[in-house]
Amino acid sequence: MIHRISSIARHTFKQSVRDKVLYNLIVFAFLLIAASILFGKISVDIQRIILVNLGLTAIAIFGLLIAIFIGISLVWREIDRRTLYNILSKPVARWEFVLGKYLGLLLTLLVNTAIMAAGFYLALFYQDRRFQAQDVASLEAIYFILLELALMVGVALFFSCISSLTLSAVFTFCVFIIGNLLADIRWFGSETHSALVSAITTFLYYLLPNFSLFNVIGSAAHGAPVAGYLLVSRSLYALLYAAILVSASILIFEERELQ
Amino acid sequence: MRLEDALSRPRQLPRGLLWAALVIALMAQAALRWTTGSMQTGSAAATTPLYISSGKLLRDLSLGYDGLLADIYWTRTVQYFGRERLSGHPRFDQLGPLLRITTTLDPHLIIAYRFGAIFLAEKPPGGAGRPAEALQLLRRGIVANPQYWRLWQDLGFIYYWDLHDYRAAARVFRAGSERPGAEIWMKTLAAAVAAKGGELRTSQVLWAQIYRATEDETVRKSALAHLEALEAAQELQELDKALAFYEKQTGHPASSFKDLVAAGLLRRMPRDPSGTPYMVAPDGKASLGPGSTIDLRLVH
Repeated sequence: MIHRISSIARHTFKQSVRDKVLYNLIVFAFLLIAASILFGKISVDIQRIILVNLGLTAIAIFGLLIAIFIGISLVWREIDRRTLYNILSKPVARWEFVLGKYLGLLLTLLVNTAIMAAGFYLALFYQDRRFQAQDVASLEAIYFILLELALMVGVALFFSCISSLTLSAVFTFCVFIIGNLLADIRWFGSETHSALVSAITTFLYYLLPNFSLFNVIGSAAHGAPVAGYLLVSRSLYALLYAAILVSASILIFEERELQ
Repeated sequence: MRLEDALSRPRQLPRGLLWAALVIALMAQAALRWTTGSMQTGSAAATTPLYISSGKLLRDLSLGYDGLLADIYWTRTVQYFGRERLSGHPRFDQLGPLLRITTTLDPHLIIAYRFGAIFLAEKPPGGAGRPAEALQLLRRGIVANPQYWRLWQDLGFIYYWDLHDYRAAARVFRAGSERPGAEIWMKTLAAAVAAKGGELRTSQVLWAQIYRATEDETVRKSALAHLEALEAAQELQELDKALAFYEKQTGHPASSFKDLVAAGLLRRMPRDPSGTPYMVAPDGKASLGPGSTIDLRLVH
């Protein structure tokens, strides 16, 4: 079982590499170098803060774009190319296929993020010719970005199992945007003084994935470490929610009629 | 080429011609952009309006990437401030809103509070001349960063220098001196301001602290200009005393400082901190010489 899942995961990773997904690293490197030079010249006194903010934001955004665009095509692509029938004709269960695809994309994102993180730390070292104790906070922020990506891949995979490519992209983007504004949506609901609206917004608040929990880039830029209990609780939250999304995707895919 | 061949072969695009057309079109659009750009460089384009003035809304729109947006707004603030200062008729209308947006997006961006407060408070043309806004900005900074004692120093400084409220300044310096990590001179400063508020020497101590503490070139230059102006003001006071003494001794006013040097009251011709010789004004008082770069308005 593990062998079959890991084979599918490896295949998904190789497919991403073949699709030149890792080319984004070149853009990332160029962006980091150009922006640190540019902002260093026109801003005042915050070169390091800018480098951290820009580097971590770029890592997150590149990762999110890959998670969304590859994630929504994970299942759809195999159906479209009819390679899915070939895979499923072998002794591979549908749930193994979905889980393997999910883990494969996570592996791609892990490798991509690790390379970008190495480049980011290289840029940090280049700026001051040394590391600072507060740079550990950036590592925590990168860990939180990975948790966010794990959730995002889950969302994309879920929609990939129930909808077309375009609609999956739209839904996934919507969930990402709403997931960043959940606290505001709940507050708006309470401000309407309508019990029904307030109940709906509170329901959405607890139902949808809260992506804003994983954004600690701002505090990392000031070298503020993440409290230990937050590291644990948010890791658990991401793990639990990703498990829910993958399980829901498997259930839908198991029920799906493939022609 | 036979007609048969010509008809059977698909017609090739003239690639060289297409490349040339592409390059020409690119150059033409750049030229067009440059022309329209230079047409906009009048007063209309000098200040880009703030389409969204709410920092809270911008924070929501940033989808969590508010740190980077704060950096962009801070850079925009610096550029705006520099551009207005160089414009010859600075207005600084957007300085307050830009700083408010920046610090809402990133409440821990200390430089925005410190730089912003100094230049919001400073009298025109060097700054916006809005000390009340500077106080608001610093108070917000203190609430967001209660552990950062230097914001108390800046707050006290604005009370002292711009509002001449020495009691409030002393109170703020004392409160700041009680913050964790505050340097010992904050207590001394509080006592000095309470006892001798308004004296040139006390002001000199304050500006010297700012000069020593800042790493920002703009703030350093401003502090240096203030220190030089304060030094010149003190020297002018001393020179006035010497001129009065000369008149009392000789029965007639001095026409230049050469008279005082000749009478042994001065060892040499006095020069201001910019190196320009002082002169005796027609009213018999000491004044800055022509060409001096010292701005005495900074003292008053």
